[in-house]
Amino acid sequence: MVELKGVSKTYPNGTVALRDVNLKIEKGEFVFIVGPSGSGKSSLVKLLLKEEDVTDGEVYVNGYDVSSMTRSEVPYLRRSLGFVFQDFRLLPNKTVYENVAFAMIITEALPKEIRRQVPMALALVGLSRKANMYPSQLSGGEQQRVALARALANNPALLIADEPTGNLDPETSWEIMKLLSEVNHRGTTVIVATHEKSIVDEMKKRVVSISKGLIVRDQEKGQYRDEDKNNQAYI
Amino acid sequence: MKIRTIRHIFKEGFVNSYRNKLMSLASIAIVVASLIVFGIFLLLVINMETNIEMWKEQPQLEAFCYVELDNTQVQMVEDVIKKDDRILQYERVDKEQAFAKMRDKLGKNSAILEGYGAEIFPVSFIIRLKDVSYSDEIVKALEGVSGVEKVSYSQDTIEVITRVSHWFKLGSGVMIMIFLVVSVFIISNTIKLTVFARRKEINIMKYIGATDWFIRWPFVVEGVIISIVGAILALVISAYGYSLLYDKFAQDLFLAESQLLSLVEIKDVWTQLASSYVIIATMVGATGSFISLRRHLKV
Ligand SMILES: Nc1ncnc2c1ncn2[C@@H]1O[C@H](COP(=O)(O)OP(=O)(O)OP(=O)(O)O)[C@@H](O)[C@H]1O
Ligand SMILES: [Mg+2]
Repeated sequence: MVELKGVSKTYPNGTVALRDVNLKIEKGEFVFIVGPSGSGKSSLVKLLLKEEDVTDGEVYVNGYDVSSMTRSEVPYLRRSLGFVFQDFRLLPNKTVYENVAFAMIITEALPKEIRRQVPMALALVGLSRKANMYPSQLSGGEQQRVALARALANNPALLIADEPTGNLDPETSWEIMKLLSEVNHRGTTVIVATHEKSIVDEMKKRVVSISKGLIVRDQEKGQYRDEDKNNQAYI
Repeated sequence: MKIRTIRHIFKEGFVNSYRNKLMSLASIAIVVASLIVFGIFLLLVINMETNIEMWKEQPQLEAFCYVELDNTQVQMVEDVIKKDDRILQYERVDKEQAFAKMRDKLGKNSAILEGYGAEIFPVSFIIRLKDVSYSDEIVKALEGVSGVEKVSYSQDTIEVITRVSHWFKLGSGVMIMIFLVVSVFIISNTIKLTVFARRKEINIMKYIGATDWFIRWPFVVEGVIISIVGAILALVISAYGYSLLYDKFAQDLFLAESQLLSLVEIKDVWTQLASSYVIIATMVGATGSFISLRRHLKV
């Protein structure tokens, strides 16, 4: 589903974000990516979406050879995935319904399909009643659930979330994580970059820990360790 | 691209240009101004051309008899003219009329005619032809008629007017180009501003897998909408302004009756005006958007 082979990322200003990362994630897995601030979690996610290009190495996502794809292929890679970001990234001028439908309009889906799929996605995240509201009228947790519904609208095989609960209170964070877990149970592969120690510990999923651009730990049913929080602790 | 996608793109373009009312209105105003300038030139050129055509169609010749001819000899010349079926109509100018004309022409200086009478002026015939193509042969034929001293014709005037209109067209062409370039620039600037205002939105669309053109087309539609609205307004304004002018012209009895000049009616030119406005506006709007998108929307 996802494979990184000897991946390095150095930004144009010289910052090295990832060093020789090797990682394989199978279909149906739920993986946490943890690590201190600045360790390279977001950089890794950006490589998967082709928001950034690798400096070295190979990246395969969902059957796409991301490291060598051309710009014009990028939209098709992204349509095959679902993403959720810390800052929700909803279109402010569109209603909840329109935001979710938009992800399908882009793929030129049939209107019939859209009318069937959007209410289903909204029901899954429990927002059916707020379909006609605008993002500004919703709480942070609700906005993130809209983003999740949008990410799921096209039935992606892989869902990637970068600190999806970073702007939410603990209780709401839990709701979102439970939703992600439910999505995973329905067969979607889920990758979550996060800082939430309690959630990671509780959920007992695979945990990949990054520090200064290196994968320092990769554990099934892993825990969030203190060194994952402390920038100075490792290496 | 599927029909529903095209529909979506148009909807987005409309909604966005409505949302950007203020900027849209400013650019619409510029488009209206440029198109009206264009329209003024176009109407002038159309009118000039039709008048030239009219003058060409009815060239006036004037055949002058020798001064010393007596009435019977003049009558013989007139008979020749009368019989020629290539001539539409003619008008005889007697010595007295010629004298009076000259006195009018000289005005204050008519004193130099003192001591002279009508007898120094020749009788002449102002001739209108049925077709312009006859003018050369008729001039030759009349010059061969005994008693006719010379035949002058107004071909020269037509030539001068044709030349003038040629230069005028060239000049207005340059002016129109300048205005069009300005309009393209203004529209591309408007689109640039809307692109900047929607940076975040564009980014989000990219994240969820929108293709470059899916993102770009609504902006092109927006540019074209701005210029089409401009074209419609410009058409209304220039058509109305022109009919006002036309009515004023019709009231000017001297000009209207002289038949020297005639204005084309708005109903005969409005389709030409409308189609050129719409074509130009669409091109200006699309070009403006494209330029702006190429430079500011690296999706
Ligand atoms: N566009 C960029 N240009 C230059 N350096 C960058 C850029 N993006 C990130 N970096 C640097 O790369 C390193 C890794 O950053 P990254 O955002 O991947 O960390 P992170 O693990 O997501 O951190 P956080 O937990 O704070 O989100 C950091 O040192 C950061 O400053
Ligand atoms: Mg990050």
